Amino acid sequence: MDRLETFFLKRYIKHPKRNLFRFSFVFMVIGIILSVGILSAGLNLFQGYETNLKSLLLDSFPHVSIQSAYGELISQAELIRIKNKLAQKSEILSLTGSIESSLMVQTQDKVRAVNLRAYDFSEDFPYARYISKGSYDLQPKELIVGHYLAEELGLKIGDELILSYPRLDRITPLGIQNNQSTFTIAAIYRSGYYESDNSLVISTISDAKSLLMISDGYSKVELRLSDPDKASQYSREYIYLLGSEYIAIPWDLYAQSLLRLVTMEKWLIFIVFSFLVLIAGINVISAMSTIIIDKTREIAVLKTLGAGGHSIKRIFSWHVGLVALLAVIGGQILGLLLSWFVEIQSFYRLKGEVYFIDTLTADITWVNLAVVFAVSNLLIFACINIPLKQIENMQIIDIIRQRN
Amino acid sequence: MVLCAKHLKKSYIDSDQTITVLTDASLEVAPGDFICITGKSGSGKSTMLHIMGLLDSPDEGELWIGDKLVNSHSSDAPKIRNQELGFVFQFHYLIEDLNATENVALPLLIAGESEIEARARAKELLVHLGLAERLNRFPNQLSGGEQQRVSLARALVNKPKLVLADEPTGNLDPIYSSEVWNMMKSLNQELNQAFVIVTHDAEAASKADLVYDLVDGALIRN
Repeated sequence: MDRLETFFLKRYIKHPKRNLFRFSFVFMVIGIILSVGILSAGLNLFQGYETNLKSLLLDSFPHVSIQSAYGELISQAELIRIKNKLAQKSEILSLTGSIESSLMVQTQDKVRAVNLRAYDFSEDFPYARYISKGSYDLQPKELIVGHYLAEELGLKIGDELILSYPRLDRITPLGIQNNQSTFTIAAIYRSGYYESDNSLVISTISDAKSLLMISDGYSKVELRLSDPDKASQYSREYIYLLGSEYIAIPWDLYAQSLLRLVTMEKWLIFIVFSFLVLIAGINVISAMSTIIIDKTREIAVLKTLGAGGHSIKRIFSWHVGLVALLAVIGGQILGLLLSWFVEIQSFYRLKGEVYFIDTLTADITWVNLAVVFAVSNLLIFACINIPLKQIENMQIIDIIRQRN
Repeated sequence: MVLCAKHLKKSYIDSDQTITVLTDASLEVAPGDFICITGKSGSGKSTMLHIMGLLDSPDEGELWIGDKLVNSHSSDAPKIRNQELGFVFQFHYLIEDLNATENVALPLLIAGESEIEARARAKELLVHLGLAERLNRFPNQLSGGEQQRVSLARALVNKPKLVLADEPTGNLDPIYSSEVWNMMKSLNQELNQAFVIVTHDAEAASKADLVYDLVDGALIRN
């Protein structure tokens, strides 16, 4: 930057009112603020969706599930052996045996399939923070029911329902014989992850064993890790330790493609919204062209005094660029306000059955702020440069003759 | 020699018609010369001045500034315009967003001087030209005569060897006009800077040491 450019830049910064606030900039500024605001809010919301979904997936499911390689139950003795073998692994936050099975739930007028999970409540209950109503300190014949499931069946705390386990080993001429047991609802579970909230019932281990006719054992061993992103790597290590009679299933085996899809959608939305900034760039071209026409005489004066074309172009770039930069910052502030508003509003919720989760949250990260800032400025400065070519082609003599 | 123009020819095409304004114009300017070029309206006075100022190029002929053969397309034309030539136009051509001091400081900033130094020299020159009370005024807050004096200060601030003025008082009333002419004459004597002034005002031209008439595209010394 030469002395002349520095001089003009300092003037623009010291006296913004006199130099930067022009009527021809109004629509350019509005366009940039709106487009950058939408881009920023869109990215924040998609980032929030991605973070929220990942967090819910990690919270709603074990990070690693250890199961028998032959589809058998894991006995209490085996569970203790597994615990001992993995005791040295500092990354394991909790290790619990659980029972999981599909069965039927029945109220007075409705029947539907649900997913039963059973835990030993004397140990830490990993999903305690998602209990929205009631207490998770379950007594025998008490159940925790998912929020949307309770809503669909019209159930509330204290209501009773029947769990039926179809016994495929007892098929009679009258049909399949069921094990049935009546339970009282003690709590409502609401994680925000629709699949869980719509199909989950949670019971004690002893009730599940009785209903499913299991004498001893667990369906699987659930592990929660300090670094769930390394679940695949740890799974391989655990199988090496435990032997080939077990399999270890990391959480991302079934969720990774979904998360990749969400990440891809986020960046697709970012590209689509970036086109809004590009459209706002048309206003920038228009404002830049107007200012060049307005200042033609001054360009001629500067050229007459010996200023180079490149130097004059940079002075004009700074002039419009500073206004555009302020507008981009304004747009990012608008984006933050929009994100905040979307979070606090309560009149619109996501459809859980479509989007997996039902709450809109915004996640504001420095990386996303920087990406929006960089891409917006890049697009706008590219637009600023288009009309600047006029300056290079201006002939001083033509301008002076016109004036005379 | 500050400037030497030899056998300059220049013509324009206007609506399929070729209009020749300079046929064989030659001029030599020595340090300290105070030269006026007069002529009828449309005789090519301004074209001659623009060619001498490297704002336009001749079709034929040579232009020497100092010991360099140049034209408006020369790569060093901007540098020569900045450091060896000063311009005063009929319209003041001051930058409206800059005050008087800043307008005068521009050629120095273009030359690479620091802003502090440029402002100091601009102020000094403006005070010398009687504008001490107008240093921070913007062009629209100055009278016509003051605007032209600021314009003159801007032309002189880089201490050019030659000042080219195109009808510098053409837009001024007689009082301001006389003031500007006297100022140019005294600066010429005081600083030994050469002036070439284009005017159609014969009375004003009489103040010059040398007067040329531009007749039929050639300069004829009076």
